[in-house]
Amino acid sequence: MQHLRAIGQTGEVKRATAEEVRERIDRVWERIMQEKKEDVKTLGERLEVRKE
Amino acid sequence: KNWDDEEDDEDDVDDTDDLDPEAEYAAWKLRELKRIKRDREAIEEREKELAEIERRKNLTEEERK
Amino acid sequence: MATHRADEKRFLDERGSSGPLAPNGLNPATIMEKPVRERIVDSYFWKDQCFAVNEADIVDRVVAHVRFIGGTYGDAQKPSPFLCLAFKLLQLGPDDDVIQEYLGYGGEKFKYLRALAVFYVRLTRKAKDVYLFLEPFLEDKRKLVMRTRTGRRLTFMDEFVDGLLTKERMCSTTLWKMPSRAQLEDEEKLDPRVSPLGDIEDLLDSEPEEVNGGGS
Repeated sequence: MQHLRAIGQTGEVKRATAEEVRERIDRVWERIMQEKKEDVKTLGERLEVRKE
Repeated sequence: KNWDDEEDDEDDVDDTDDLDPEAEYAAWKLRELKRIKRDREAIEEREKELAEIERRKNLTEEERK
Repeated sequence: MATHRADEKRFLDERGSSGPLAPNGLNPATIMEKPVRERIVDSYFWKDQCFAVNEADIVDRVVAHVRFIGGTYGDAQKPSPFLCLAFKLLQLGPDDDVIQEYLGYGGEKFKYLRALAVFYVRLTRKAKDVYLFLEPFLEDKRKLVMRTRTGRRLTFMDEFVDGLLTKERMCSTTLWKMPSRAQLEDEEKLDPRVSPLGDIEDLLDSEPEEVNGGGS
């Protein structure tokens, strides 16, 4: 269980600060933008394939 | 993934923004105007009630009968 | 190191006793009604996605799983991921600076994160702060899907915020009774709200038919 390891044996999870929340927002946003770019790319590739 | 069930009818309602920015702004403006009007009417209603209470307070015993 | 309990057991056990109260004086463990709380902690989403989650993980969970706002839905009255995460926030009790990240910086990028935060603020903050935190988003016209017992419908951030400020019940949760804005203005705790549309008298005088719902 991944999250059981993350919280160790204590059953506690570290409180996040506002800065850490902002970093997470940035990270999630970048990931989503990256995924979108890849979606467009694969769509483009698919269209390429269809043209052939 | 049990919590993500019924994926198929998820397209029923589309929440994509900025498909028609002008219409979306106009619709928002109408909602905002309605809220303002509602709030203003509530305030007027309350003022009327307060005025009525004040008026009754000022009536003499005789007038109240 | 500041920590949270990974699970909700202590949170639920402390009901009415030693747990910290929300800024509005309510006990966060009992803000949602008991049957709703039971449905939440029994749900698969809660067990699988809300365990050992902190304030930053909330962002991931919202973006990955929140596709609509609402409380319990369907005949089975299943709790929405939105409602489960709101319950998680009640357990975490984030500070105002974290909430500002959800509402502002994060809320611009992820509308459902803002929607979750406005709901949470309405449940836990003092009346004056609820108005101050929420009213700026009466300007946010983005679309949201609202899911109720009967189905999905389109709503908007401004409409959701207005509902939170004026209705008694939203998302299967009874909202605590706040003093009205007018009352707080009379007590000089709040300045009158200025609409982004500008001078209200002019607007109402110039467009009466539109205001009455006639439209164009």
